[in-house]
Amino acid sequence: MALRGTANRISSFMKKWTPLLVFLFILFFAFPPMAPGQVQTRVRVIEASNVGSVIDPSLRDLHGQLGSLFRYTSYRLLRDERINLSPNQPASVPVHQGRSIEITQVGLQANMAELRVRIKRDGADILNTQVRLSPGRTVLVGGPKHGEGVVILALSASF
Amino acid sequence: MKDSCSSTSQLLERYFDRQATDEERSLVERHLPLCQTCHERLRVLEGLRKAIKTPVDEALKEETFPWVWEKIEREIRLGKKSSWQESVRSWIDLSPLFRKKVWIPAMAAAIILILVTSPLLFFKKDPSYSERSVVEYVESGVYNVMVYESENAKVTVIWLFEGPQTESPAS
Repeated sequence: MALRGTANRISSFMKKWTPLLVFLFILFFAFPPMAPGQVQTRVRVIEASNVGSVIDPSLRDLHGQLGSLFRYTSYRLLRDERINLSPNQPASVPVHQGRSIEITQVGLQANMAELRVRIKRDGADILNTQVRLSPGRTVLVGGPKHGEGVVILALSASF
Repeated sequence: MKDSCSSTSQLLERYFDRQATDEERSLVERHLPLCQTCHERLRVLEGLRKAIKTPVDEALKEETFPWVWEKIEREIRLGKKSSWQESVRSWIDLSPLFRKKVWIPAMAAAIILILVTSPLLFFKKDPSYSERSVVEYVESGVYNVMVYESENAKVTVIWLFEGPQTESPAS
């Protein structure tokens, strides 16, 4: 009898709180908490080629920009990473064929984050740059060959 | 007559306390003018009642009954306009939503929302941003590098040229 009462209480508790917990869960993942001074950076690795005419649906927001800048007919998303960058703490994302991109937040102002970007091949720098990124702005780093086309890295930030 | 007086005297107290029936009352009222003893006894009873009642009435007049005043004052206080804390507390007590104590997780959710949205609310856009270049510097020991910045499209391109056969940007 006591066991049934406990089960009923648990069931009642779950019925009452589950929708709210689900809401908080969704909220947490929709807006992951960032510590003050952190910059969330999105790195998308795209393969651009003239083989076929496939535009990856997850590149819909970039499609207009890519189409106006490049002559490629096909854009395929190879990797999509979101990194929370703390000041002066480098974070690395593998790109392709022994290459990796290392991003470091070196400054943060009201609407602008300064990021140092290093692309490395087998541990050695092949590109070293520093960019100022504001929310809504994208930096595309492209050129290295990949398969039938080239690889393009799309960097964006939110904070 | 004596029997009648004996039986009536038994009814006299009930008559005095107004507990006698109509028949008993009629019997007593018929007997009283005829019997001096019973008449006198009734007067004694009335005197006793007066002797008890008078000091009680006087005491009641002088008594202030502090507990009554406390109750009245409390009622007056409750009748006054309550403070905002009392209003909030009474609203929380009355609202079925808050009685279920949903407000604890709801407050937590609200705090999370405020923390998430506060940077958007408090950080103002820097008007001088458009005057600045997105790329502060770029260097490569391996590639030739081209930088293209589009203010309208909100995009900046850093293009690395590996060799003469590499695809290049259209613009």
